[in-house]
Amino acid sequence: MLKPKQMSKVLLTGHKDVLEPTIEALHDLHALHIEEYVGGDYFHIGTPLTGAEDDSKKLLKLRSIASFLGIKKPYTRPINAHQLSSELEGKLETLGGVVSGKLERKSQIETDLKDVQTGMHEIEAFSGIPVDFDLCRGYNTLHVFAGTVMKGADVRAGLTGITDEYQFFTGNTGVFILAVPVQYREQVTDLLAEYEFGEVKIPAISGTPDDLISELKGKQDTLTKDIESLYSEIDSVKAEYEDFILASEELLSIETQKKEAPLVFATSEHTFAIDGWIPDDEFETVRSKVEEATGNRVYATVVEEPVEEASVPIEYDNPKIVKPMEAVMNLYARPKYREIDPTALVFIAFPLFYGMILGDIGYGLILLGISLYGRSKLHGEGWNSLFTILIYCNIVTLIFGILYAEFLGFPLAGLHGHPGLIPGWDTIPLFAGLGGEMITYPIHRTHLVTTLLVLTLLIGVIHINIGLIAGFRNVLAKHGMKAAVLEKIAWIVLQVGIFLLLFGMMGVVPSMLPGAVIFVLAVIMLVAGEGGTAIIEIPSVLSNILSYSRLLAVGLSSIGIATAVNIMSGMMFESGGLFIIVAAIIFILGHGLNTALSVIAPGLHALRLQYVEFFTKFYEGGGRIYNPFGYKRIYTEE
Amino acid sequence: MTIDIAAASIEQLAANQTGLIAIGAGLAVGLAGLGSGLAEKDIGSAAVGAFTEKEELFGKGLIMTVIPETIVIFGFVIAIMMLL
Repeated sequence: MLKPKQMSKVLLTGHKDVLEPTIEALHDLHALHIEEYVGGDYFHIGTPLTGAEDDSKKLLKLRSIASFLGIKKPYTRPINAHQLSSELEGKLETLGGVVSGKLERKSQIETDLKDVQTGMHEIEAFSGIPVDFDLCRGYNTLHVFAGTVMKGADVRAGLTGITDEYQFFTGNTGVFILAVPVQYREQVTDLLAEYEFGEVKIPAISGTPDDLISELKGKQDTLTKDIESLYSEIDSVKAEYEDFILASEELLSIETQKKEAPLVFATSEHTFAIDGWIPDDEFETVRSKVEEATGNRVYATVVEEPVEEASVPIEYDNPKIVKPMEAVMNLYARPKYREIDPTALVFIAFPLFYGMILGDIGYGLILLGISLYGRSKLHGEGWNSLFTILIYCNIVTLIFGILYAEFLGFPLAGLHGHPGLIPGWDTIPLFAGLGGEMITYPIHRTHLVTTLLVLTLLIGVIHINIGLIAGFRNVLAKHGMKAAVLEKIAWIVLQVGIFLLLFGMMGVVPSMLPGAVIFVLAVIMLVAGEGGTAIIEIPSVLSNILSYSRLLAVGLSSIGIATAVNIMSGMMFESGGLFIIVAAIIFILGHGLNTALSVIAPGLHALRLQYVEFFTKFYEGGGRIYNPFGYKRIYTEE
Repeated sequence: MTIDIAAASIEQLAANQTGLIAIGAGLAVGLAGLGSGLAEKDIGSAAVGAFTEKEELFGKGLIMTVIPETIVIFGFVIAIMMLL
């Protein structure tokens, strides 16, 4: 906790004869983060084990089949890996045959369908014209025009001035066919040009348009039926082979991963060397397991040399309950090796801030239900983290909800003669707060604005100073005591100065002098530590602290929306009759909207307080991901 | 009669003052909100562009986007101080 896992740089060397068992053992252990060997004078990059190419080919085939069948990734019961590997070859062959047949049929049908559609498109223009297309071509003495003219143009009327020896047909779409003796061709062309003639090509087939259309329609129907039945066949293949495909994809991925591993090893004629990182606490296990697998023919050793921070892969080291918060960290950046890992701090502060902002029993229960349901239905690491974080947040929301006694924006307890939702429960005054306000149980946020505002700022001061202390520790580890004091402690001193000045102004302390002295001292420290730019940053202390007032502000706006919904639906409800239904609709829609906002607003604001106000005090991030050699099996088991 | 009018106008004046304070508080939050929005719209669109290109930038983009939000928080604090 608070520190990434400690890593050792290790070197494994051995004879090439034992390369395969070494890879096998390392893969099973899933602990070594291999550093890729990039080539050098003496060693060279290793070659894949035998069968790697074959397996990659199979994998490629399998993946193309999976994409053709549209296999998604559901969670199924794992299949035994040994049994699968023995029957893989044969089954893949059969599956390949079945699928390639279907694939060919599918592309054939699709081409045919496209042809039919193109043909249809050509002929449809002529629909309703009772002439065989054969009769429209092949004349020496006649010229045939086919096409459209502008709206309102009367071709026949125009033709009367030229000739009355013509045949003219129009169909349903406005396309016409006009045949005239060839000697009038020029004149008719000119006439048609006046009417904005657009030529339409006469299809090179025989038959009347309407007959052809109905014929093509029939063909189209058959093809559509064919393709539908093909789809259902594909679905049944998919259903039959889905488990097999997912499991064997995994199996082959593992095999290729193992067989291609030597590509990142350094090898000489007879030996190999593997360079990498192992978590400190796993080194002994790895060494003994590898030695056992190879009959002591591999030598594993920790490389004792100063390591560069940036080169160490980072693995979080958090208790299980804190783990989901790592998603929040990854969203920002993974910690660096020598830096404090703030996941545990975020685990406390994030749900606390979220709950403090939302603080409503109704929304808390709804969101808790949704996240519990979501976690049971949606799998995968990302979803699991998201819903678990939401569960944490909404448990805290419930606690604050009880403290505030709010339910969907309704106060549960009565105040100043206004009855609450629970009859007979009245607010109990406890003691005087700030600005003439009375602290009560339950806390009515809308009536305790001054006190809560100061409280939120106080939380801000605490949170920011935890950040500064963490920053002190980080700088101390990297640059020594002097830098740590000047860069981090100076900010704490500055705050002390500001508060003493404020107290001096308010008359709590008799003089403003000590405050001023401390303030100036802090500024000098800052300038010495961070240079002149620090002066520009001084106001950021105030803006950072004031930023925590959102813990109150966002909550109040949420109450505002809820109250508005309640008042609107209440007014409708009192009107009676049909309005009761309207009231219900307003109530459900309004609170539905506010529930959605209740995830986004408090979530984002609580997150922002971590990222902007808290992390900027100490956190750099940017560590490499620890990605150990191995595979997390989902669909197969050994 | 004169006294009545005077009394009424003092009441009126007090009511006017409360109203003006409320308007002032509203302006403080509203205008500050507009300021935040104006600042965030540019940063937000740039941030979305950045993290569609490179997903790891989401966290940093979010931070950049929400930085001007402090402006509206200042507005809120001022509004509260005016109303109290």
